[in-house]
Amino acid sequence: MDVIAQIITASFTAMFIENILFARALGSSTALIAVKNKQQFVGFSISITYICVFASFISYFIDKAFIKSEYSYLFMPVAYVLAVAVIYIITLVLLWKFLNRIFLAVKKYVHLSTFNCAVLGALFLNSRHSDTLFGYIGFGLGTGIGFIIASYFLSIVYDRLFSEDVPESFRGYPLILIYIGILSMAFYGFLGHQLAL
Amino acid sequence: MAKSQSKKKIKIDMSIFDGIYQKNPVFTSGLVIAPAVAAAITVKNAVALIFAFSLISFFAVIISSFVPRDIVYAVRIILYTFIAALVYVPVALFTKYVFPSEFSALGIFIPLLVVNSFITSKTELRFFRKTKKDMLVDVIMHILGFDLSVLIFSFLREIFCFGALGDRILGIPVTFPILALPFGGFIFLGLLSALFRKIQLIVRRNN
Repeated sequence: MDVIAQIITASFTAMFIENILFARALGSSTALIAVKNKQQFVGFSISITYICVFASFISYFIDKAFIKSEYSYLFMPVAYVLAVAVIYIITLVLLWKFLNRIFLAVKKYVHLSTFNCAVLGALFLNSRHSDTLFGYIGFGLGTGIGFIIASYFLSIVYDRLFSEDVPESFRGYPLILIYIGILSMAFYGFLGHQLAL
Repeated sequence: MAKSQSKKKIKIDMSIFDGIYQKNPVFTSGLVIAPAVAAAITVKNAVALIFAFSLISFFAVIISSFVPRDIVYAVRIILYTFIAALVYVPVALFTKYVFPSEFSALGIFIPLLVVNSFITSKTELRFFRKTKKDMLVDVIMHILGFDLSVLIFSFLREIFCFGALGDRILGIPVTFPILALPFGGFIFLGLLSALFRKIQLIVRRNN
């Protein structure tokens, strides 16, 4: 029961309080690529959540071994990149061997959904917020789901942001940023923050 | 014939500046948004960010260009990121030495530069499809594009957010403190991108 509570608490922290896109602006470029088509969006979402969970699992042991070192800030990116790379290679080999159809579908963009600020950011944030192994896993899971929530909100209006009705200078990218900003502000208020009066 | 050749020449020359103007990584393409939105709140922070970003991206891309092309694509991407993480070690030491307080203030955004889009996607999609000389120019232009746009963005953001520039108070009657938060950063960057697009449209129409 305690394990479930740890996972749920860490997940909710990652999903809402530390939402990777709305609260930290991490993975914005990845989200812009992910929402371009629906099939890709599903693939990105599953891939990022999967990588975040397993990389968080490995990063727990990395953090326990090295985080107290004075020079940990120098070597943590190398360690995290290696952790993500191990999962990436194992996954690709397994997909290639046993699920070749999925491998062919995802191989064009799987590296973008693996090596990005959202995944690596989740590992860095994990070391600040979590302390137990299940906390790490929960935070990784929450980061992935948080990314899905944020990207979903973006995907449902994506086509409209490119509408001919929008003034040309705002059409597309500038409006996407403003839209993410407004959603991010809504999340900020939803969590009970108040602006100083 | 001669006219069309000279037109072609002009077009090729202008494409050198793609990274700064036509495909600016912050204002147009959205390649590197996170550090700009969340970390470039003041000019001092932006300068430290630019310093680290430029060094990591430049050396990581240049060193990665020597990775043999016959290695499987999936493995090449890992190598590029790994090279960037190794380049990060001296760059982080150097940045911490030159900008100690800004380095702390930027937190996770400096190490996260090892997975910026210049390294994970632009390498294969653009930079490595060119000759070594053209690649070098293109990488420098893209880095300059990031540097200039983040500098302009942080300069305006600091003025509108704090009514000050560093220690100098400018005496602006109305400020917008919410610009210091990520959502303020997103909205402000969106407005600046629209302004940049407007300038591009005017220039295109006049030409």
